[in-house]
Amino acid sequence: MLKKKILKKDHVVPFLRRLSRDKRLIMPVKRERGEVLYEEVNSLDDTVPDLSRQPQESLKPFFFPQEETIFTYKTGDNGYSFNTVDETDETVFFGVRSCDISGILYMDVIFLRGPIDPFYSRRRNKAIIIGMACNEPEDKCFCYASRSGPFLEVGFDLQLTDLGNRYFVESGRARGDAIFEEFSLFFQEVTEEDEKLRYQLSLEARSLFKRQVYLETAFNRLKTGDFDEKIWAHIAKRCDRCGGCAHICPTCTCFTIFDSPIDETQGERIRAWDACTHEGFTRMAGGHNPVPPEDALKRRFMHKLYYDRLSFKRSGCVGCGRCVDMCFGGIDMASFVRLLCS
Amino acid sequence: MKKDNILDNNYLPFAARIEDIVIESEDGSLKTFKIVFEDEADWEKWRHEPGQFAMLSVAGKGEAPIGIASSPYERDGLLFTVNRAGVVTTALHEMAVGARLGVRGPLGNGFPVDGDLKGKNIVIIAGGFAFTTLRATLLYLLENRGDFGDITVIYGARTPGMLLYRNEFLDWEKRDDINLYVTIDREAEGWHGLVGFVPQIVSQVNPSPEGARALICGPPIMIKFTMPPLEKAGWQDNQVYLSLENRMKCGIGICGHCSSGPIYVCKDGPVFTRAFLNTIPQEY
Repeated sequence: MLKKKILKKDHVVPFLRRLSRDKRLIMPVKRERGEVLYEEVNSLDDTVPDLSRQPQESLKPFFFPQEETIFTYKTGDNGYSFNTVDETDETVFFGVRSCDISGILYMDVIFLRGPIDPFYSRRRNKAIIIGMACNEPEDKCFCYASRSGPFLEVGFDLQLTDLGNRYFVESGRARGDAIFEEFSLFFQEVTEEDEKLRYQLSLEARSLFKRQVYLETAFNRLKTGDFDEKIWAHIAKRCDRCGGCAHICPTCTCFTIFDSPIDETQGERIRAWDACTHEGFTRMAGGHNPVPPEDALKRRFMHKLYYDRLSFKRSGCVGCGRCVDMCFGGIDMASFVRLLCS
Repeated sequence: MKKDNILDNNYLPFAARIEDIVIESEDGSLKTFKIVFEDEADWEKWRHEPGQFAMLSVAGKGEAPIGIASSPYERDGLLFTVNRAGVVTTALHEMAVGARLGVRGPLGNGFPVDGDLKGKNIVIIAGGFAFTTLRATLLYLLENRGDFGDITVIYGARTPGMLLYRNEFLDWEKRDDINLYVTIDREAEGWHGLVGFVPQIVSQVNPSPEGARALICGPPIMIKFTMPPLEKAGWQDNQVYLSLENRMKCGIGICGHCSSGPIYVCKDGPVFTRAFLNTIPQEY
């Protein structure tokens, strides 16, 4: 039986300090200019978590960095040799939004369904995830539509709900229970009133979304072809191919691989984020491109809204709304679905 | 901070070296590299199916996916016939015997020689330098000759000088258990064989679909015009196998470059039946 506890807000920082004593700690932090980002925190003495709003970037970079070395190589008289090292530390992720946890669950499918990606899998196995349910979705949010929030049932070790002066904390798996046990001094028992309040907040949160995004209808339209084909030309015209949507998207996991030589005899093989809207993404060495540039964005939306549903029984969109803020062509996920379903 | 070597890093190539190079085409754009592994233990573990491919690594240049041209029975090294096209293949073409490179694989699915193809009449249709994995396949069929019915090979190139594996074709011509049709696009001095594009020859040969499977590799235009004569002869789409090429990076179904609808060419392919390809978007 998975447990539930109460954590007083006064106890959050002391709890985190103890929990992360021998681990890395990542949490939302407000920076000088007011933006909130997930960041590694070395000392809780002068930095406190900022749980007031959705961080600008998802957790993706912590599991799948924008650029990483997959091995180093040497050439010379001893041949062509390779070396990789594991630098993964156990990490506590605190205050993670439901959409971002859902993004990780999606990445699990891509990187772990087999063949297993060794780099992702090491980081994932060493991650403790403490989520933060959203009582008040932001204007751009639509996670209810992709069933990836605002409150989650799975995917976290612990999930917090803000009850005012205290957090309602529920465990999502055995490791969450173990945290309750090991750090029992920080937690109190849940009362019937706490349970009621938490339930009420979860219902209320669902009614607070300002944006209607019909992902289910979009899937059905793409399946049956019940839409105007001209939509593809329209969105192609509006896309500037900046790749911003893929960069910011918690579920965009496409990457490229290239060599970065240090000199003639040594270097690194790097993998780095790539975006399917970039012109060279599908172009082959001979110059042939099976996906004409004007179809790149169509391929992207078909992938996320249709083929991911077919293959993995889940949409490739977690409704975080970050592409809504990012896309200056106005053809982010929410706008596209609105166009498709209008 | 703990630092362990990652032993299960599936992005790591096997260290290898070039043992031999054959210039295959008169214009020098096609070379066959014979590659041997540096570590005998790596080579002992290596097993591939005809139709699979591997990533070839050149230090400082990167990796490129290349079909394996040698059959699983050739145990003295791997053969790759490489067209000089991009950064990695250009670097490969500049390498000499003894040069070091990396091999990552085998990758992909290969032709179902042990499944759907068994007991069938096999029709191999190829154009240009796409004969490479079909060479591996043909050698496999010949090694297990009793498991298959009639074997027909229709192979074309622009000129006699662009035909791959000429010495082997001379040997195959002498056998009475292969129906071999080698053609070139236009008349050429000294050429006494067939003349005409691959689709025309397919039309003339008119292979029977009865208990048969066709394996087709070639440029998109050849494949496009090869299908109508086959359809006319009564071939169904589930009797036709095609091997696709897409831009690839990881080769193991993660990086997203080669995806076409619900499939990854690298992991689910590169070999597909035409019947299956009809169900996915034409992004290949």
